[in-house]
Amino acid sequence: MSLKINRRNFLRMLGWGSAGTALTGCDMPSYITEEEGKEDVVSYLIPEEYVIPGIGVWYSSTCTACEAGCGLHGRVREGRVLKLEGNPESPINNGNTCLMGQAQLQGHYNPDRITAPMMRKAGHLQNVSWDEAAAELKKHIGSDSGLKGERFGILTGTVSGHQAVLVDELLDKVGSKNHYVHETVNTTVWNAVCRDMLGEDNPKYHFEKAGVILSFGSDFLATFGSLVHNMGEYAKFRRQEQRGMLVQIEPKMTMTGGSADLWVPIVPGTEGALALGIANFILEKGWNSVDVPDTVKNTLKQYNLVAVEKITGIDANKIKRIASILTERSPSLVLAGASATNQENGYDAAAAIMLLNLLMGNVGKTIDGAWKANEAALRPRQGNTKDLLLLAKAMRDKKLDVLVTVNSNPAFTAPDVLQFSDGLGNVGFKVALSMFPDETTLQADLVLPLSHAMEDWGTHIAAYQPTEAFVGFQQPLMENLYKDSRGFGDMMLTMLKTRSADYDKFPDYYSYLQTAMANMPGATGTAEERWNDILQHGMTKIKSTKKPLSPRLVDFKFKVPQVNTEYPMYLLPSARLGMWDGRHANIPWLQEAPDQISKVVWGSWAEIHPKRAEELGVKNGDYVKITSASGSIEVQIYVHHGVHPDAIAVPFGQGHQEFGRYAKNRGVNPLKILNPLMERRTGELATHATRVAVTNVHKHEYLVKMGGSESQVGRRFIRTTTPDALRRTRRAEKEV
Amino acid sequence: MRVVKNAFCRNLICYVRGRFKMNILKQLPSLFLLAVVAIILPATSFAKLPVPPGIHPPPGEYDGKHVQQPIEFPHFRHVRDMKINCMYCHTYARRSKVAGIPPTSKCMGCHKVIATDKPRIKLLTKYWKEGKSPVWKKVHDVPDFVHFSHEKHIRRFVFKANFPVEKVQEVCGICHGEIRQMTTARKVKPLNMGFCRRCHALNGGPGDCWKCHK
Repeated sequence: MSLKINRRNFLRMLGWGSAGTALTGCDMPSYITEEEGKEDVVSYLIPEEYVIPGIGVWYSSTCTACEAGCGLHGRVREGRVLKLEGNPESPINNGNTCLMGQAQLQGHYNPDRITAPMMRKAGHLQNVSWDEAAAELKKHIGSDSGLKGERFGILTGTVSGHQAVLVDELLDKVGSKNHYVHETVNTTVWNAVCRDMLGEDNPKYHFEKAGVILSFGSDFLATFGSLVHNMGEYAKFRRQEQRGMLVQIEPKMTMTGGSADLWVPIVPGTEGALALGIANFILEKGWNSVDVPDTVKNTLKQYNLVAVEKITGIDANKIKRIASILTERSPSLVLAGASATNQENGYDAAAAIMLLNLLMGNVGKTIDGAWKANEAALRPRQGNTKDLLLLAKAMRDKKLDVLVTVNSNPAFTAPDVLQFSDGLGNVGFKVALSMFPDETTLQADLVLPLSHAMEDWGTHIAAYQPTEAFVGFQQPLMENLYKDSRGFGDMMLTMLKTRSADYDKFPDYYSYLQTAMANMPGATGTAEERWNDILQHGMTKIKSTKKPLSPRLVDFKFKVPQVNTEYPMYLLPSARLGMWDGRHANIPWLQEAPDQISKVVWGSWAEIHPKRAEELGVKNGDYVKITSASGSIEVQIYVHHGVHPDAIAVPFGQGHQEFGRYAKNRGVNPLKILNPLMERRTGELATHATRVAVTNVHKHEYLVKMGGSESQVGRRFIRTTTPDALRRTRRAEKEV
Repeated sequence: MRVVKNAFCRNLICYVRGRFKMNILKQLPSLFLLAVVAIILPATSFAKLPVPPGIHPPPGEYDGKHVQQPIEFPHFRHVRDMKINCMYCHTYARRSKVAGIPPTSKCMGCHKVIATDKPRIKLLTKYWKEGKSPVWKKVHDVPDFVHFSHEKHIRRFVFKANFPVEKVQEVCGICHGEIRQMTTARKVKPLNMGFCRRCHALNGGPGDCWKCHK
């Protein structure tokens, strides 16, 4: 019998096949369908009236994935949190979340969580009971321990609210001032310039009022400040009657740069010269709306177009064009981000960039004063890299007996040259309050399992307050997954109780917070009403004031980085939305989420310009060796035009040696090979100042990324046209 | 063209066009007959419970094992003897995708005064006083990739059909069998895809894959 396979026969077979499957195959027994008596099912003892099994209830809380302090809503079903969304009431995120916020569930349910206290015995960390751990803690920290003064230090990330109060109180009880606040992804230098030139370190930006945003490497859509808030404001900026224009000047295309109308690559470290060149050109033309003293004008004169073109590598006509865009589309907003500020001349560059805001009269229009909580004790301590350097030095000099680290992983983020891990060996007793077995935690003498933010109480006051200041309230969305984990506040209270009997009246942090919130100034209604209101909304207003900005000029001397023949390239360790500083590398969803520019997943890569790639003789997926004076890394390359020919950009966040199964031994960590260079004015680590040499190691592997091809292979799914052609069409349409 | 009442056939038509449609329609009844006979014949002892009017229960039996529970809960006492309606205890069935195990407080609502001397009630009271709920074992369980909603089925077969709620066990029994005769529940219907599909075909339920697999 011959069966001709044509469309009709094929469909007929398919039809019979599916009918057969529907009637017989579905009755086939399988181990899944015949599961009986395997799963446990536990009823409520006394159910809440509003709780129906199978139907989610949303609770309010606050996100802790970065320090922006977005409001969260978590869907809880049968006592388990299943989904996170933004809290629409929060003025920071207005109901939105970024991918890091969404992915916090995988941090919470992560299989590599630390589940029990661990103590170093005979050189190895071993599980111990809480009683034993608490006794050890008391032995080293308690009032009988002899611990006093500056021999004690606490290292945290950005911390605010009542947790910050407790950290201060603990330090106060011991008599130390060593609160190290470390964040690798930070805006410290820019904040310092804002404080010095505007009188406010976190001013309010009005994106929606700006005609043009001129951003010197400020990745405000991904890693700069309150990013979800920025995204919302950026949308308003673009939706104005005259669509806002974004000009991005940076050596490596960031996510924000990818959205820019005009993207200009620049030699790293010369952003300040460009800003001064633009300022000089604007002053020469008399386009400025605010005048500056003649001394400033005279200083600026050396930054004429010819000189600036030579320093920055940007065509003089382009500089003129940027200056005229700034003028025509005034009011503008000029920002500086990591690639400009994390240089040795970062402060001066940021000051030069801020000068443009002053010149164009943006202060009071697109940059405004912000609300600040009156209660200074609750305000955020913003993280920086200066404290990392200070801590590394204190440890090297054997100045610390006890160090408490809270959810912070400096052993990963510190450059090798700081010898951070060796330094930790000089500290007598190290306590790590941590959720995961990361590099720092595994070197501790006592590891206390921290509850995830979704199991913990807390209050957060964001550094960037778009409206009146408020306290973001973090309430547990579910009970502890592991009975031995404790919240940050609870552990702080445990430590405080070893020093003072004042805290015995608080059985836990929950009761401490209840008391604190009841005593908050300006409280209305009964304590219970107020407490329920806070839990319901996930936030509460706090007394705050807003003072207008007081613009003034500061002295600065801009120095152009020297040419380095031994290490000719600039290394740009770039922050990534998702991995952040590496704290989210153990979340598979975020590993799987492709990088917004290169589309690479689950690993590290180095971005390099095609011209440089040709010189080196490398293509996508080839390995190169990046060598600095402090070390070297080998990494696959990704060739694209979004990077300056003299720079090589390696995103950080990968390259963990520990930190659980998803993060361990994956990719490389460019922070490790940074030279110990400091920003001259603020003492911050100049992460973008390290020079490197790049060599081809003649090794190739397939570079895993979403979207195998960069082109449409001639299929024209997305039609493109040149700006000129578009302008001609528009003009023709108008004439018709 | 013939009006096709059967939902399953209607769905097939969505996917097949032209003459082929007519062909498969002609072939389907015989196929159905074959399958139905093959499955019904060995299951002659089906349906001791009265079948609610207008419902065509799908054929299919299953011999579930006896699952050990923390308290040997006598369903027959509550349902058959005391004539308590299923949804009095499994109150979430009409509101949610799961029927829910009744909260311990509901048990204690009666058993603070009723039959307090019986060993099972003493065990229950012990749980209650300790502030714990018994950890039951799930007997009727569909895989996680199946979205089954009690609420939708109760709405269709009880509330929309104006079926008296006090006799709801007859509706529940289509999938759960004669719980009124059992102590702890035992699985007596296959609850696999074939069983679901047959019921949907006979009673006009949706046939789209993504109704259940979403």
